[in-house]
Amino acid sequence: MTAAPDSFAIGAPSGAEATPSPLAEFWSAYRENRGAVAGLSVVAFVVLCAVFANVIAPHSPIEQFRDAVRAPPVWETGGSWKFVLGSDGLGRDTLSRLIFGARISLFIGLAVMGLSSVIGVTLGLAAAYFGGFVDVAISRLTDVIWALPSLVLAVLVIAIIGPSLTNTIIAIAIVYMPTFARLMRASAMTELKKDYVTAARVTGVRPLRLMLSTVLPNCLAPYTVQAAIGVSTAILEAAGLGFLGLGAQPPTPEWGAMLADAREFIRSDPWIVTLPGLAIVITVVAINLTGDGLRDAFDPKLRRS
Amino acid sequence: MLRHILSRVALTIPTFIALMFVTFAAIRLVPGDPVEVRVGEHGISPERLAMFRHQLGLDQPIWKQFLDYVWRLLHGDFGTSLSTNNKVLSEFLTLFPATVELTVSAMLIAVVIGIPAGAIAAVKRGSMFDQILMGASVAGFSMPIFWWGLLLIMLFSERWGLTPVSGRIDLIKYYFEPVTGFMLIDAALSDQRGAFLDALHHLILPAFVLGTLPLAVVARMTRSSMLEVLNEDYVRTARAKGLSPFRVIGLHALRNALIPVVTVIGLSVGALLSGAVLTETIFSWPGVGKWLIESIFRRDYPALQGGVMLISTLVILVSLAVDILYGVINPRIRHAR
Repeated sequence: MTAAPDSFAIGAPSGAEATPSPLAEFWSAYRENRGAVAGLSVVAFVVLCAVFANVIAPHSPIEQFRDAVRAPPVWETGGSWKFVLGSDGLGRDTLSRLIFGARISLFIGLAVMGLSSVIGVTLGLAAAYFGGFVDVAISRLTDVIWALPSLVLAVLVIAIIGPSLTNTIIAIAIVYMPTFARLMRASAMTELKKDYVTAARVTGVRPLRLMLSTVLPNCLAPYTVQAAIGVSTAILEAAGLGFLGLGAQPPTPEWGAMLADAREFIRSDPWIVTLPGLAIVITVVAINLTGDGLRDAFDPKLRRS
Repeated sequence: MLRHILSRVALTIPTFIALMFVTFAAIRLVPGDPVEVRVGEHGISPERLAMFRHQLGLDQPIWKQFLDYVWRLLHGDFGTSLSTNNKVLSEFLTLFPATVELTVSAMLIAVVIGIPAGAIAAVKRGSMFDQILMGASVAGFSMPIFWWGLLLIMLFSERWGLTPVSGRIDLIKYYFEPVTGFMLIDAALSDQRGAFLDALHHLILPAFVLGTLPLAVVARMTRSSMLEVLNEDYVRTARAKGLSPFRVIGLHALRNALIPVVTVIGLSVGALLSGAVLTETIFSWPGVGKWLIESIFRRDYPALQGGVMLISTLVILVSLAVDILYGVINPRIRHAR
């Protein structure tokens, strides 16, 4: 919820205090947004689940309990503590699959973000620095990718390179790359006109160093926000591909693929359908709230609006 | 004005060329023998292979193949589907009205609910309504559309029996020849009692599912744009003149606040079509999105190639139209360059 910044009560630290470190200042700005704090806590929880999946998951995500196929969750009649959130059509424990699924979804999100950032940031900086033909070529390329509906493009890429977890990451990274390239191009162009860049140039800083250690750090604020949103978009797209059967392949406990398997039980065992989707929504909402919070904390002007 | 339009049109030409190149390259990147990929036969004899190679022009130099491809596209030949042997274009055009019907209804739902809701939230900023709406809009952004669809089917169709699970109309009760391809219009034209209502009944749930994301976007966009406008001098003047709040908000503020909203709506066509792929799959809605996914599973690469080309062309043309219209509505953009 973005309603929290409306509270004018807690303002920026008053001048009387000693100047806080940038990080502390950032945190105090971030903390103003209650939704963002809640989002960050959920993200932390999901990360912990992902990291310690093999410790906390009660069962293996792919072990099939043939005697407990489609066991109901513990709160339904007939549920047991052995399968807290029930089991799926093959008798695999839903809770364990969800916990391991967090690992896969976060991995997809971060890998997509990393891959598309590296390519996008490089292209964006190159377009801004060289201008001219390089800029036109890069801009047209990003235009085409943007013109294609994201899922249609991802599906086309998957159709060519085949469905798998790795290829899901590649496909979504291609789809998401232009966002970073455009963002970087725009902010690098603004920065390049500023005096400190001219000063650095005059002192003889080489182009590569100029772009990477002088200009890039000053473009990071909008990038970070976009990266957070990118992670959540990637998780959603990957789940969509998994649902269509074009993403992670069985028996990988990917949340979207879990839903695809569950479709036939929509009438008899609704929880098999409900739970993986809930995991996706909660994670994505939490990441989006965190992104909102980051944006507000980075940009004091927006914070007050 | 004409210059504005021409410059916009000129800007899309390189995009089109790049798009043609991408779809041309895509089908060659599919692993396997290029003839088998296009003809769909396996283990063909060398003579047949040579014949197909010649027929498909694969024995030509690559630049010539690309020019041939462009030439065929410009003449409306988007290839031939392997599974049905029909022209991709005619297959696409048969299914396309279903997709249009779905996406337009989804957008209507988003606009009809989203704009008033966003405007009210802006006027009553900080209220309970505002907070709930903004919370719901974050959830709407984050909703995996396929799960949302399944969830609503589970509740509305399975549990409460309110809406049908799939399809566009009850084919056992109603049958008529398609005239326009739009089920609502065809049903209304058919003189069969109840047909129109039945078609509407089939449409409502998929349209709402697909409309959820644009609804979240439109509501949020209207709210923030409205908040900006409400601080403008002309709104204060209108208030000071003693106009009723309804006139101030409804006529003076909202009309100006809607300019960015209209752009967002136009530019979300791509996202809407992405969502349509999933929505059509869930609801067995016989549109182009479902067809595209099915062609992958049938390894019907020419259909996929043609389909992607057609859908992308459409998105580019709609963005172009929005761009031009935006210049018409807002002279500042037109004269900026």
